[in-house]
Amino acid sequence: MRTLRIVKDCMRSLSRFKLRTGFMMVGPLIGVAALSFVVALGGAAVNKLLATVQQLFGASSIVVSSGGGFFMGGPRDATRLTIDDIEAVVRDVPGIDTWDPMVVVPDASVRRGDRNCLVRLMGQSERAERAWSRGAERGRFIDATDVAGSARVALIGETAARALFAEDYPDGQDIQIGSVPFRVVGILERFGTDIHGMDRDNEIVIPVTTAMRRVMNVDSIRAAKLLVTEPADVEAVTREVSLALRARHRLAQGQPDDFTVINSVAVRQMVGRIERVVFLYIPLVTATSLLAALAVAASLMLASVNERTAEIGLRRAVGARPADIRLQFLLETAATTLAGGIAGVILGGLVTALVAARISLSARLGPGAIALGLALSLLTGLLAGVTPARRAALLRPSDALR
Amino acid sequence: MMIRLSGIRRTYVRPGGEAVRALDEVSMDIDRGEMVALVGASGSGKSTLMNIIGLLDQPDAGSYHLDGRDVADLDLELQAQLRNEKIGFVFQAFHLLPRVSALENVELPLLYSRRAAIEGLGLAALKAVGLADRARHTPGELSGGQQQRVAIARALVNDPDLLLADEPTGNLDAQAAQEIMEIFRGLNAAGRTIVIVTHDSGVAAHCTRVARLDSGRLVSDGVGPRPVAASQENS
Repeated sequence: MRTLRIVKDCMRSLSRFKLRTGFMMVGPLIGVAALSFVVALGGAAVNKLLATVQQLFGASSIVVSSGGGFFMGGPRDATRLTIDDIEAVVRDVPGIDTWDPMVVVPDASVRRGDRNCLVRLMGQSERAERAWSRGAERGRFIDATDVAGSARVALIGETAARALFAEDYPDGQDIQIGSVPFRVVGILERFGTDIHGMDRDNEIVIPVTTAMRRVMNVDSIRAAKLLVTEPADVEAVTREVSLALRARHRLAQGQPDDFTVINSVAVRQMVGRIERVVFLYIPLVTATSLLAALAVAASLMLASVNERTAEIGLRRAVGARPADIRLQFLLETAATTLAGGIAGVILGGLVTALVAARISLSARLGPGAIALGLALSLLTGLLAGVTPARRAALLRPSDALR
Repeated sequence: MMIRLSGIRRTYVRPGGEAVRALDEVSMDIDRGEMVALVGASGSGKSTLMNIIGLLDQPDAGSYHLDGRDVADLDLELQAQLRNEKIGFVFQAFHLLPRVSALENVELPLLYSRRAAIEGLGLAALKAVGLADRARHTPGELSGGQQQRVAIARALVNDPDLLLADEPTGNLDAQAAQEIMEIFRGLNAAGRTIVIVTHDSGVAAHCTRVARLDSGRLVSDGVGPRPVAASQENS
């Protein structure tokens, strides 16, 4: 009863000092908003990454790319990986289930009548459907005959289809890639954006042989994907593939690889590292902004205690125990930072929704992020309130009233 | 005997390290129903004595019995409870919370009360000082005299036996001071024990007893100018 009355009085006090309450709320507001934002968006990004990685790599993939250096960018002295290389490796190394070569033109111009667009053009084999877990949504995928005969057939992604065809069904229609005419035989399965934010539906797939001979005029491939029979053997098979390729390329000992191999295990490790950064380090760094909020709240409350010395003396005179005074100042601080935290969660949620919509990522504030934000803002207030509350409670009433 | 002070000594240490004896061997008894003026020059120790009587400060030596209980035996919590239930304070500077209505100011002691039912007590106390119609006004909207009446209502809200007033008319004009003293006299006539710290002989003239302090010593203590009220005899 008595405590309840003190709590109510406390809330009234907060509205008496609007400016101070406002300033104290800003710190936790910004800190918690930033925290909820990075947790929600980072979480969504990692989930997206996981989904993409799962789709691209699964548990049993090895990707061999031409050129040494690093996965995703880095130096490449490109031209030495050939279909023959991969065929030989697959023949020599046991445990490989299937494989698919790949060439890429990042910006190929495609035309149909007076409509045209830029797409990512990929040359693949009939085995790509299994190797990359992506087939035809409608129509058919490319087949072995297409590849053997360098057929001018194409599967077209949804975005590209929308750009080139208004309402009519693209199947069986002709398009022109560069100056080469192709017949559309199917629509690619939807993919959405990948981890780089690239629209993977703005793609066209044609037989790898056609791409090399008729479009790009090259005899080497960009990369190849190998699926191993037993997921548990990925590491062992990867080592064998590397050795076989080095032998075929006649690389002496000490000479660096002129190709890059990455497998499911390495990708999983990379995802794990990213998860740790996104879910631990970034939130931790963001949460340190709450330390600044804590310092601000503590100093504002200390100033408030000094300014309200007479009030504290009066409260003691009319019957407040030191514990009541301590409770009052602790509550005032904690309620203020918690209110800031609540506002921060709302702001963080709004910003997350806005940004997520812009980059078409399905991010939203989960209960975990909300609970974390509120708990941290409350903790900030409790810690910030300790010293002011103690100082207020220790005042001797006769001194405070002087 | 309501208040029994014997051999009270209180020494302050100034920031420079110099010790100042604010009260030196003060002994006095105050009976239920008395209205006592503590007079003396500033620095004579009269406010310190009032603080000790009001349990806002503790003596360094000597003993203080309130209603027969040795105050030295009470912890801070019990002292707070006694202040809440038995003692009402009125200050020169009013000490009303700004931006808070008169009614909420009056209700402040009820916040710390053990009572469960507190409805209407605040308004009743305001009515007793003739300010029921100003309940929603904040101190800034009231005159000095009205503010002090709100402070008196606050002192009365828990129905205490003892009222302690430290220069209650010090910030008021003569007219308002007169009104305040009338209120105190009325409260005393109704049986409340009142101790007023003042250096104003006009205020002391309203009291039944005048005790004079000088440099921390009680130098005179005698029957005041006003005839002793009948209610004083029921101690």
